[in-house]
Amino acid sequence: MKKILIVEDDEIMINLLAKKLRDHGYIVSLAKDGQVGLSLLKEKENPDLILMDLVMPKIDGYSVMEEIQKDEELAKIPLIVISNSGQPVELDKIKELGAIDWLVKTEFNPQELLEKIIKQLGE
Amino acid sequence: MEITAQEYLKMSIFKRLDKSRDKDKKISLLLTDLASLENYIKDFFNFSPLPICFISPLGVVLEVNPAFEKTSGFSSEEIIGESINQIFDKEEILSITKETLENGFVAAKDLFLRRKDGNDLTVRIFTKMRIDEKLRPIGYFLGLFDLSDIKKTEDELKKVQAALLNILEDTEGARRMTEEEKNKTQAIVTNFTDGLLFFDKDHNLALINPKAEDFFKTDNSRGLKEIIEFLGSDIKDIFRKEFVMAKDFILEISAISMEKDGVDLGNLVVLHDVSREKIIEKLKTEFVSLAAHQLRTPLSAIKWSLRMILDGDLGKINKDQKEIMEKTYQSNERMIALVNDLLSVARIEEGKYAINPISIDVAEICRLAIDSIADGFKKKGIRLKFIKPSKSIMVFCDKEKIGLVLQNMLDNALKYTTKLGKVSLSIEETLVDVTFNIKDTGIGIAKNEQNRVFSKFFRTNEAVLSEPVGSGLGLYMAKNIIDSHNGKIGFKSQPGKGTTFYFTLKKDT
Repeated sequence: MKKILIVEDDEIMINLLAKKLRDHGYIVSLAKDGQVGLSLLKEKENPDLILMDLVMPKIDGYSVMEEIQKDEELAKIPLIVISNSGQPVELDKIKELGAIDWLVKTEFNPQELLEKIIKQLGE
Repeated sequence: MEITAQEYLKMSIFKRLDKSRDKDKKISLLLTDLASLENYIKDFFNFSPLPICFISPLGVVLEVNPAFEKTSGFSSEEIIGESINQIFDKEEILSITKETLENGFVAAKDLFLRRKDGNDLTVRIFTKMRIDEKLRPIGYFLGLFDLSDIKKTEDELKKVQAALLNILEDTEGARRMTEEEKNKTQAIVTNFTDGLLFFDKDHNLALINPKAEDFFKTDNSRGLKEIIEFLGSDIKDIFRKEFVMAKDFILEISAISMEKDGVDLGNLVVLHDVSREKIIEKLKTEFVSLAAHQLRTPLSAIKWSLRMILDGDLGKINKDQKEIMEKTYQSNERMIALVNDLLSVARIEEGKYAINPISIDVAEICRLAIDSIADGFKKKGIRLKFIKPSKSIMVFCDKEKIGLVLQNMLDNALKYTTKLGKVSLSIEETLVDVTFNIKDTGIGIAKNEQNRVFSKFFRTNEAVLSEPVGSGLGLYMAKNIIDSHNGKIGFKSQPGKGTTFYFTLKKDT
């Protein structure tokens, strides 16, 4: 069973996503801000994939990604950014920080996201 | 030898006879001299070009010379024996006669001489009294200068002088006015709230006003040298070109070549400080960007929730529930589209909507835009005709952004054209640029609304009536995109008949 870590501060979104992914059979752990997300990662949560928002309290998504990059093992984990932003300059920055994909929340729905994850992790 | 009395008498008679003979001889000689003198005086009197007359102490003319006859118009026969009062003012000539008899002469008195023909001459007279051997006055000479010519010249001179004075006064007036104008202009230039630079026809800096000087005093700012470099050696006319002097210090520079009656006077450069506007604009776009971002968060939550309910992820729902949820989902999508537009506008204004130009065929841009909207045309039953250029035309532009502009214009044509209407997309090219024409037979744009078509959030009354949904941002964005490509954008419209939108791009040569 594949493990997915969702780092997202919006309660509705995180719950909807968790349900969608758990229903599909993934093991899902949740972090409601960047700080929690980062400590989970450092405590050897070892997810197979990270879904992460950018604008979050305490530590934002960019900083989390910077920290991940510093850790060779963590840097190997595929990371998809789910954000409400969507500006080209940000996309470049996110790619530099190792994200494999970027979804603008208003442009996607949970099903489409699930399909992307399946493509990445397998069934 | 002794002389006899007889002999003595004889001798003395002879002596006397001799003496008498000598006397006669002398008299005769004197008489000859006298006659000669008289002739001399007469000749001289007649010759004198100066009019002279001789007048008795009682004022009777006794003698005149030809010059006098000529000047007065009276012949000697007519005037001799007559009173001098006839030709001069009585009072004046009396006083002159009196003065002459008292002082022996009068010098340089100006009088009027009344000529025989009735005209008055201005003359300057001189007199000299004559006396007899007993020192009694026997009359006086009166000579005169005809001043009429001099008078005429003097009058003319006076006129000329008056005219010159007038001219001088006019010149002085004009000079004063020029001075006033100059002062006014100087005051305007000095107190102008924009910086002003004036370059003479040789492109040398001739004037710089205090405001411009202030600009160049700003710390860590680019200076006059950089501005001159920016203007270039030939100082071409420019209009409101942005020039960053320093961080948060931006000038808008306009250069105008000045000429009068075809003569090059130089170039006026206006430096307008837009820093404040730019800061406000930045704050505003940042605010809009933030607001749009914040708006997206709940919208995406609504979207995802509804989608999962609709997809049955959260349990089964009945048909009615599904229908309502679907409509709500669509409304939410429209809301998302509006917020996206808002965000795009903010990004365009912030300069974050970076242009990534590539060389691309015009037909390719058109095809992409048409593909994206073809279904809509089909559904509404409106014919979309693409008049493809006969050969490949390359442009250097941001494919996506220009696609967006074209899509937007085609979408408008579709929205505001009723069924059975026609829309066409055609391309025109010149040596340097390409024009895209999007022509529809739609509702058109009312004359009084035409000047606001490219304004942010603006929708015409007709447009709102025929299509309630719309952000009024599409053409605003289109204009921004075309402007950032240095292209032209515009339209021609006849209310009720249709509209043709066009934009131009530079060809990639």
